[in-house]
Amino acid sequence: MNPAQLLLFAIGGLSIAAYLFIVAAGLSLVFGALRVINMAHGSLYMIAAFVTVVVAEKLGAGLGFWTGLLVAVAVTGAVGALIEIFVLRRVYREEHLVQLLGTYALTLVIAGGVRLIFGSNYRTMRPPALFSGSLKMAGYSYSVYSFFMIGAAILIAVGVYLMLYRTALGRNIRAAVSDSDLLSASGIDVARLFTTVFVIGAGLAALGGVIVAPSQAVGLQMDTDILVLAFAISVIGGLGSILGSLVGSVLVGEVISFGLNSQYTNQFALAFVFIIMVGVLTIRPWGLFGAAEQ
Amino acid sequence: MSARRVLRWAVPAAFVAIALLLPPLYGLNEMVNPDASTRFGLFLGTEALVLALWATSYNLMLGYAGMVSFAHAAYYGIGAYTVALLFQRYHVPALAGLALTPLVAAAFGLVTGLIALRAVRLYFSLLTLAISQLLYSVAFNAYGLTGGDNGIHGIEVPDALSDYTTMYYFVAAVVAICLVLMFLLTRSPFGAALATIRENRERARSVGINVRAYELAVYTIAAMFAGVAGGLYAVFQQQAFPEMLYWTANAQPVVVALLGGIGSFLGPALGAFVYTYLASQLSTRFSNEFDVLLGAVVLLVVLVVPGGLASVPRLFTTLRSRFRHEADMESVESSGESIERADLARVVRIEAVHADPTPVQRGEPLLVVEGLSRSFGGLRAVQDVNLVVHAGDRHAIIGPNGAGKSTLFNLITGRLKPDAGRVTFAGHDITGRPPHAIAREGIGRAFQITMIFPRLTVLQNLQYAMLAHRGYTRRPFGFADRMFRDEAMDLLEAVGLGQYADLPAGQLSHGDQRAIELAISLALGSRLVLLDEPTAGMSAFETHKAMELVRRVAQEKRLTLLFCEHDMEVVFGSAQTVTVMHLGRVLTEGTPQEVRANPEVQKVYLGELEEEAVV
Repeated sequence: MNPAQLLLFAIGGLSIAAYLFIVAAGLSLVFGALRVINMAHGSLYMIAAFVTVVVAEKLGAGLGFWTGLLVAVAVTGAVGALIEIFVLRRVYREEHLVQLLGTYALTLVIAGGVRLIFGSNYRTMRPPALFSGSLKMAGYSYSVYSFFMIGAAILIAVGVYLMLYRTALGRNIRAAVSDSDLLSASGIDVARLFTTVFVIGAGLAALGGVIVAPSQAVGLQMDTDILVLAFAISVIGGLGSILGSLVGSVLVGEVISFGLNSQYTNQFALAFVFIIMVGVLTIRPWGLFGAAEQ
Repeated sequence: MSARRVLRWAVPAAFVAIALLLPPLYGLNEMVNPDASTRFGLFLGTEALVLALWATSYNLMLGYAGMVSFAHAAYYGIGAYTVALLFQRYHVPALAGLALTPLVAAAFGLVTGLIALRAVRLYFSLLTLAISQLLYSVAFNAYGLTGGDNGIHGIEVPDALSDYTTMYYFVAAVVAICLVLMFLLTRSPFGAALATIRENRERARSVGINVRAYELAVYTIAAMFAGVAGGLYAVFQQQAFPEMLYWTANAQPVVVALLGGIGSFLGPALGAFVYTYLASQLSTRFSNEFDVLLGAVVLLVVLVVPGGLASVPRLFTTLRSRFRHEADMESVESSGESIERADLARVVRIEAVHADPTPVQRGEPLLVVEGLSRSFGGLRAVQDVNLVVHAGDRHAIIGPNGAGKSTLFNLITGRLKPDAGRVTFAGHDITGRPPHAIAREGIGRAFQITMIFPRLTVLQNLQYAMLAHRGYTRRPFGFADRMFRDEAMDLLEAVGLGQYADLPAGQLSHGDQRAIELAISLALGSRLVLLDEPTAGMSAFETHKAMELVRRVAQEKRLTLLFCEHDMEVVFGSAQTVTVMHLGRVLTEGTPQEVRANPEVQKVYLGELEEEAVV
């Protein structure tokens, strides 16, 4: 493998890591504040991808993508709010078992619903004109869109950081992460805060879905594919840690990119991810950046 | 009560009768209605039987041990591939392959379980997901071995089984044997240990149960039965394919178990028949909406009827009573008065459970703590603590908030591992040993937050604790509810809880739950009992009674007490020795009078008051 190839695979890995991070960060944020593992997180991502493709089909690639982004985030956020209010609120005080099964049921409902509404065909869309095409570097051609994905992820990472550490909302979220009992004693409307956090989490899933839509075929197995990877990332990085999501995403993205690009390992690229996951958990059962639960 | 007993036999009997009569009934149906197909009916029936076994094995984890696994489908798939591969590669007859499935699946379950159970609860569930996808990707990608996405087809079965009625009875027989084995397991002392883990891991540990080992055992056993179910599937459908291992395939046993009720043994089996019937009806008519319906049913069950179909009668009675404004369903109501009814003479008569392995004379050091330290990040919660608790003493530890009392208790009972130092109990070094092992040495613990097994009956709380402590819970046979019944009942009567024996412990009042805790400690025959704020949340009257009970029991039964307490009246009224901690260190130690007179102690407590005033 020569240096130019190395660069090619590394950037390919980063573009995978980009959308993985956006989705995993949402999962982690929700878990950190609400202490609920949302199995339906991947389903929200899938809804957004389908909505974007449909809007783009109607309006054309350029305008369609940006309108699709707005519509998809709005629709997914609304679905997220409904889920939080009608399902999650009833299970916060329950055991993990009930939460897992409840949100698992949601994945079945949403998967079925998406198939009913959008059908079971694969759909594709082109990236917006501004980011389509490719550029040549060191003998290989790179799609401009993968740089857009990396840039978008960096922007979103900065945005999430600023939201958490520079706003009153962020302060409350961080308080909820460290001690939600104390928070409710301090006069904050916890129910509203939780809905807000969940909608932000759903919004991140949606952004991931929108950004990924022009780069791969949009189909019904998207929810499971992303969920499994987002879990792996959260477990590697530590549930509830945004920094952990970032490190985990880059690790997983690179492993997949290099794994897929070698003819000996391309069938087992995913298996490597899980081997890393098992390895991390064996040494640090709460992940690289997670806090051990007492 | 008698109605319940009739029901207990009626349900399984009806089950067996329906299972046996299904083929002739379908035959009759075909005679009168030429459109009906016996073949199709029995095909569905066989499918339901396999699903019943699969779901019941899932429920061993879900309902009995409270574990959510996403890898259960993988063991089901492994069972099917065992039969398929042995047949295809080595021409092993399908039934011989079937006989090997429990071994193969259990081996996979044990190895992967060892990895998954490195993590706890939620992380455990996520790890099983990873393991499941790993096994799936092997089945899917290893064309040479497994035939890749095509799977393996054309497994031949003996001619006798080619007839679908015979096949049905064969599958029914295997499933019946497996169900009986699993039923016996859930009722055994081993099953009792699982129930305690599901109810309260921490408490299970403190009565001497090695939680991880039991979880691994039930995970392996569940994998074994799932393997048999998968093997049966391969025999009956003559194929194995990779989607059987995919993690979403777990939806089936989960839905079926939830539908039938995870709280009852036969619930999931019942659910399997309901599910198979509904699926066959709905999936043809509403093939597009089927997933949505399925998810909606699960959601509804989780949110509205957590007990599943088996609990619908109970839901009905609850609704009816709510409708009639009957506030409580139970004829007895617990109000925290058990402490008053406690019959001390009887408590004392009940023999200590456990012969002392190494007797320690009264007044000799029983627990010796040397140079114990533990920090969290930069915070030194406990530094260089030395402490000697003498046999027969009532030793109190006091100190302002953050003095390190709870951390010290956690270090002694093994919930936390010390950074440095040594803990010796009755001459044995117990430093850093796991909580269940320390509990077995004879250190009992009552907790700051009341720790009982809330959904077990009061009597079961005691019986299961006794089983665990005396090392019976490794037995996979026998009926746990019939063991130590009289002894547990005696103890319950003695602490004034006799009339609540059959109520779920969680329904009792706070004070009565404390009495259960005390009874558990007595049942364990602990020599040293650690009480973490024993009177927190009690009324002044209850406090007085409870401390008197504790004091007299300790005296009569030669228990040694080590307790921390905020209520100074309780401390100075009950303790013989008082140790004062401040900022993780021992400040002073002495008799209550000496400590009360110590100017440094007064300063520490005054300081705390000032801090509180500032806040």
